[in-house]
Amino acid sequence: MPSDSPNQKPKLKLAIYWGAACGGCCVSVLDTHEKLLDIVAAADLVFWPIAMDIKYKDVEALPDKSIDVTLFNGAVRNSENKHIAQVLRNKSKILVAYGACAYMGGIPGLANFHTRDEIFKRVYEETESTVNPEKIKPQTEYAVKEGNLHIPEMFNDVYTLNQVVEVDYFIPGCPPQSERLLEVFTAIASGAQLPPKGSVVGANEKTNCDECKRKKSDNKVIKKFYRPWEIEDDKETCFLEQGVICMGPATRGGCGVRCIAGNSPCRGCYGPPAAASDPGAKMMSAIGTMIDADSSEEIDKIIDTIVDPAGLFYRFSLPSSILGRKII
Amino acid sequence: MNFRPTIVAFLCNWCAYTGADLAGTSRMRYAPNIRIIRVMCSGRIEPTFILTAFQQGADGVLVCGCHPGDCHYQTGNYKCLRRFKLIEKYIAQMGIEPERLKLEWISASEGKQFAELVNEMTKAILNAGPSKIKSTLEVKHLKS
Amino acid sequence: MEEPRIGVYICWCGTNIAKMVDVEAVAAEVGNLPNVVLAKTYKYMCSDPGQDLIIKDIHGHHLNRVIVAACSPRLHELTFRNAVEKAGINPYLFEMANIREQDSWVHTDRSEATKKAIDLVNAAIHRVRFHEPLQKRSVNVDPATLIIGGGISGMVAALEIANAGKQVYLVEKADRLGGHVARFDLTFPHLSSAKQMIRPIIQRVENHPNIEVFKQSVIKNVSGYIGNFKALVQNGQPEPLELTFGNIIAATGLKPFDPSKIEEYGYGKFPDVVTSMEFEEMLASGKVLTRYGKEPRNIAIIHCVGSRSKVYHEYCSRTCCMVALKFVNQIRAGLPDCNIFEIYADMRAYGKGCEEFYAETTHRQIIFLMFDQHEKLPVIRQADRTDDCNMLIEMDEKLSGESIEVPVDMVVLMVNMEAHDDVKDVVHEIGVSLCGNQFFIEKHPKLDPVATTTGGVYIVGTCQGPKDIPDSVAQARASAARILATIAQGSVAVEVTTAFVNEDFCCGCQTCIRVCPYTAISYNEDKKASEVNEVLCKGCGTCGSACPSGAITSKHFTDHQILSEIEGIMSMSYKEI
Repeated sequence: MPSDSPNQKPKLKLAIYWGAACGGCCVSVLDTHEKLLDIVAAADLVFWPIAMDIKYKDVEALPDKSIDVTLFNGAVRNSENKHIAQVLRNKSKILVAYGACAYMGGIPGLANFHTRDEIFKRVYEETESTVNPEKIKPQTEYAVKEGNLHIPEMFNDVYTLNQVVEVDYFIPGCPPQSERLLEVFTAIASGAQLPPKGSVVGANEKTNCDECKRKKSDNKVIKKFYRPWEIEDDKETCFLEQGVICMGPATRGGCGVRCIAGNSPCRGCYGPPAAASDPGAKMMSAIGTMIDADSSEEIDKIIDTIVDPAGLFYRFSLPSSILGRKII
Repeated sequence: MNFRPTIVAFLCNWCAYTGADLAGTSRMRYAPNIRIIRVMCSGRIEPTFILTAFQQGADGVLVCGCHPGDCHYQTGNYKCLRRFKLIEKYIAQMGIEPERLKLEWISASEGKQFAELVNEMTKAILNAGPSKIKSTLEVKHLKS
Repeated sequence: MEEPRIGVYICWCGTNIAKMVDVEAVAAEVGNLPNVVLAKTYKYMCSDPGQDLIIKDIHGHHLNRVIVAACSPRLHELTFRNAVEKAGINPYLFEMANIREQDSWVHTDRSEATKKAIDLVNAAIHRVRFHEPLQKRSVNVDPATLIIGGGISGMVAALEIANAGKQVYLVEKADRLGGHVARFDLTFPHLSSAKQMIRPIIQRVENHPNIEVFKQSVIKNVSGYIGNFKALVQNGQPEPLELTFGNIIAATGLKPFDPSKIEEYGYGKFPDVVTSMEFEEMLASGKVLTRYGKEPRNIAIIHCVGSRSKVYHEYCSRTCCMVALKFVNQIRAGLPDCNIFEIYADMRAYGKGCEEFYAETTHRQIIFLMFDQHEKLPVIRQADRTDDCNMLIEMDEKLSGESIEVPVDMVVLMVNMEAHDDVKDVVHEIGVSLCGNQFFIEKHPKLDPVATTTGGVYIVGTCQGPKDIPDSVAQARASAARILATIAQGSVAVEVTTAFVNEDFCCGCQTCIRVCPYTAISYNEDKKASEVNEVLCKGCGTCGSACPSGAITSKHFTDHQILSEIEGIMSMSYKEI
């Protein structure tokens, strides 16, 4: 490690935190492989719960705006996530919503099809192997002889990071591709002029079809929708033209179309296109347009083959969608 | 508090909007809760508009266009119908009652039918009560 | 974008609006909204002083957006756009709120009507913030005209245009001109010779220096837009010929209904049951004979074959009643002793001279028998050997209430006028729609019966709907006049609120390509993006809402504009006034 000298640029202070997350975004940092050494050469990690044992109180004690960049991944699901999000907002110059969960709610966001009470009932009462005759649910406060114990309150809704605090940049992906993380990090570390606050970075301006290698034509008329396993994919033709719903046209590019290259249709984890804010609504409109029928009955029959529109079109983005959650 | 619903309606210029104007020229009477937005063709109406109307607090959303086969732009209303049926399925999953979203074809000469449609739908929405979206959204925003 | 400075004008419309909407309250409420510089009311905004008020305020208050809350935009949007343009503002930076036809004229509670007006004006204010200036555009007009169909309508239109010195291409599917009229013998109500009427027309067309006639030919691959069309003529030659022209007239005519579908009439089974067209040809040849070669002693004419029926066609075919009476007169003249039975459902005689024609015909010893086709159709069956005729018609005669048998040697079926089987090909080529009965749809059923919603394409004659010769000729001349006017102007304005593809966002998925009924969107292989031909585009916005990436903007009906209009409607909803 080069030692500090008067001419050495000071290292960036970098924090990586996870809310309601799976850990994949943290792994994506590791997936930079040997370039990770470049990251740690340019930045000091001041907070990274998955990898380092730094306590909350230490972070809370930091001066405001002393962290240069915080990558916050995971959604905001409980009061702990919210609190730390607010703390990190105060302590960070640049707060980045990193990954689909922080950007749009992600997979945890699917909980917005239910209420907390419904979830608790299922998890703590009804699951087949649970024995909980007194129907005890998580309490935020519990008295023991040593004092009162507190656990975070689980909110009724899953929130995106920017529904809780001001966010400077969004890096989409589930997880974001490591090359894109490197691009963004290099840009920040080099002191280059950054895009306007609120921008999506580490992603393309166009949606996935632009980079997709499959053959596209104007034959976007569908008489029946198929699940991916129901067709003999010819591995060449656009999925939509084979009747399989692929979120590619409504999903921002930048992931390298890895899923499609692996013969799996895009599921939309990179989020909405640059020109539209609700990706599910735009894709619903496109899919609706493609239905090859004019009479009510025929249209109904074809729509029957789209089994779960809400889950399909909002798999990663339910909390950030126009409705945000199922209406209770 | 007595419930005064708001119904947001999207009407195509050539048939439905003209039909609504005819209801006016003929001095038909209908409930005052409807607010009409003009588009050139019902084919312009997309899920984003309907969902935004609900999210902004509309108690009901009405979509009207030319009868099938009579679209001023030939096929736009078929596209509207296809998208509409998909949105219907989606909003059912999202807990919005089906009577809150309606599609009806209204021709330029159907002023009376338009007035009746508005009255019927307003009654249905009064029965359904205020949109629960308002109360759900009050829970949502945490930004201090 | 410059900061919007909005002027809002609420019209009293005399008492039409003000009686039910408290216009002063509306002005007061919206006057304080962001970007609203002024909000005032006036008695008649569409009047000259009303428009001058707007123009004065634009200059005096440096307004750059104007809203008028008044009658329907379908009435006065153009009026106010012109006023705004006079003051130097782009006409598309203007928006109207409809608080008359859709508010004051339909509601009875003043406070509700006023609240609604406030919401609608608020919506317009929200929307107009996102309006963009749009430039008017026009294109040149090629002075040649393509006419599809060489029947009477097509030929009359061709002569009208050619006589004015302009080139006409007349394309006819059959091997001769004249259509159905050339096969007629006489015409109603004056029993004048169709051949004498049409032969000179055919000759003038074939010899006219400005008309190029293509027989046994069809049109394919029509492309382009008003003033600038292109197509191929396929006439059996190895190489199709390419034509360019500025306007199109579709005069493709009719097809007689095939009555073999109707079992009751036995067409195809009984050789002496003939259609009206077949009977016309018999009359033209001068010989009306049964299959035995004898003159019939009993002829029945049955009306409404295929018409006014829930099973076949619901519409009335308009000319058959008069043609039947024409036949009656001709039979009576040629076969003085023949028994003539007019088996009719109604007698429709509304043309000039037709009611008189009907009245005269009733004096020619004709037996008029009425049937109710919603109840039971007459049934034709083989007569018995002991009968003194070839066939018998069993029917319930409506006026007498009796079931009778009519002895006949020949039956003429007045078949209905249908659209041709291949109209779908034609409409696809030229970009017009078909109604439920497969006739071409006119631009407006009352005010614009020969134009279509596709600029530069006109429809005349029976392809637009059943009609007689006078009406067909009227339409033919009307379309010719319209086209000559366009050619005289030299250029024509095209739609401005068109679609636009932002190539920075278009991913090349091609979802939009098949959506457009005008083929205005195409995929550019080099750019790997879609592009819109703005002259073909009619501005319906269907492609804009089909695009999954939001790359297509529908000008003047953008997502931003409509979404903010929705916000504007709802944003004051919670307030009590």
